[in-house]
Amino acid sequence: MVRFLQACIDGLLTGALYALIGMGLALIFGVMRIVNFAHGAFMMAGMYATYVLFDYFRLNPYWGFLPAGACLFIFGYLCYLLLIRPVRNRSDFMQILMTIGIGLILTDGAQLIFKADYRQTNIALVNRSVHLGPFGANAAEVVSFVIALIFVMGLHLFVVKSRTGQALRAISQNREVAPLMGINLVRIQGFSFALGIALAGVAGGLLLPRLYLFPGVGEDYTTKAFVMVVLGGMGSIEGAALGGLVLGITESLTSLYAGNEWALIVDFIIFLLVLSFKPSGIFGSQRA
Amino acid sequence: MSLIKNWKFWALVIAALIWARMPWFVSNNYQLQVLFRITLFAALGLAWDLVGGYAGQLSLGHAAFFGVGAYGLALFTQLSIPVWISLFLAAVVATLVAAVIGIISFRLRGPYFALATIAFGEVLRLVATNLNVTGGAIGLTMPSLFTGRTFWRQFYLASVALVVLAFLINFLVSRSRFGYYLMAIREDEDTASAVGINTPRCKLQSLLLSAFITALGGALYASAFQFIVPDSVLTLDISIQVSIIAMLGGAGTLLGPIIGSALLLGSQEVFKNQFQESHLLIYGVLIVIVVLFMPEGIVGGLQQLFRKRAKSPSASAQPATSGAAQ
Repeated sequence: MVRFLQACIDGLLTGALYALIGMGLALIFGVMRIVNFAHGAFMMAGMYATYVLFDYFRLNPYWGFLPAGACLFIFGYLCYLLLIRPVRNRSDFMQILMTIGIGLILTDGAQLIFKADYRQTNIALVNRSVHLGPFGANAAEVVSFVIALIFVMGLHLFVVKSRTGQALRAISQNREVAPLMGINLVRIQGFSFALGIALAGVAGGLLLPRLYLFPGVGEDYTTKAFVMVVLGGMGSIEGAALGGLVLGITESLTSLYAGNEWALIVDFIIFLLVLSFKPSGIFGSQRA
Repeated sequence: MSLIKNWKFWALVIAALIWARMPWFVSNNYQLQVLFRITLFAALGLAWDLVGGYAGQLSLGHAAFFGVGAYGLALFTQLSIPVWISLFLAAVVATLVAAVIGIISFRLRGPYFALATIAFGEVLRLVATNLNVTGGAIGLTMPSLFTGRTFWRQFYLASVALVVLAFLINFLVSRSRFGYYLMAIREDEDTASAVGINTPRCKLQSLLLSAFITALGGALYASAFQFIVPDSVLTLDISIQVSIIAMLGGAGTLLGPIIGSALLLGSQEVFKNQFQESHLLIYGVLIVIVVLFMPEGIVGGLQQLFRKRAKSPSASAQPATSGAAQ
């Protein structure tokens, strides 16, 4: 039982970061109807940005993720203006291809600049742990969990309360009518794309101390983000956050009972089951 | 009209003969190997085009069929079945896999379908990585379809045979009732279904056909390179590469995938030395350029250009272009 609960805690700690990645993808899908196949690659870019800050300026990744996220916001906005916006009225087909292309450029661009070497940030926090009764957790994971949770809450409040958030939701509900209500479609879409990318970058920065960094690190996260978003119902931001937590816990439990190598398979099987039986997602709020 | 048709037919026959005779012009095995890959991926692009181009279903899971073909060939020969029969059996198994994937995935549309095909491909990759039968991450040694000193030449000829087969199938499909059904589905699935086309069945049939050829290609490829691991034949990169080849050249055209393969793999060879491990960078750049400026692909773009030119001067130019539209 203790092992089970411990696995749940571990899963939850990772799940909050997943939630951040999934929310970014859901935001982009909801507002733009674009499935961003480059999401993991943008996350990887966020990791390298944080790494560069760490390497050159000795900036701790748990601060460095903020400027890295800001960089990715600007970068995401530029990508939107130059690459996504021109294809916004094309078929799904073309939009998916475009994001695949962006992903390849990012991944192999990183490979060109940083080479395929595995890199690591050695910070003291990773080697410390926190104990509570019979349960323990890595201190770095706890810190990143708290930060991720703040971001998840912040985004939720932003989407629900702010005027921009309202505009965002209006567009994801009806793309034809929203502009007639005086919402600047292009501006909001650009903003959401940039915000989604920035969230992926923030998650990347927070994951950095716990992972080996190499150009292909984001690939699994793209597919994981799809799983979360499908779990939560395509385009539902809160759903994706829940999906992230569920995914984190599922992976952790699979690792415990079946072995680490099966975790990703279980992800995909859940994904296929949800897609085939309840494509609107298990957390209901439906607008797919 | 028939003259034009004949002219085209003979041009293609001559092109195919020259293609098959390439080993006369290139001597070293490295160049032959590059030609082999270009030819093989042209065939795969044509196979993908049946589903992705004609039926308009963006499959990003063709690595599943490619990989099942490769693994099937290796595993069936381990049961001491002759290689050529194993090759055929592997393709049949891949077709069955395609039936399962298709029945589930075709219930979904647009991006959902693409995601489902990715998931199937990845599940197969991970399963192959974790099972003992498939050699896990260490992989399997492939049986040789051809042996001897000139085996690259033979592999090359086999790939030419495959591309001719794929081309003929695409040609027949594009002229058949079945092909028109597929194109109707691509243009508007609801309307196609409303006028009485059995859309799920047509989509599935196109996938089965496509999977069969893709599996033959996968087995041939793996046998030529003698060794497989899940990350080499079941990776998402293969699925993406195949789809890009077709889209780059022009999805839903007969010559598109061939041109796409030559351009993509050719440029990869050219830039290999500059970019080394980042050779996919050029893919990314090409994709972005094509999506931005040539949404119909190279062949599609050229056709449009010709159509615009041909519009005013004479009506006789019209059948030529529409004949090429296929």
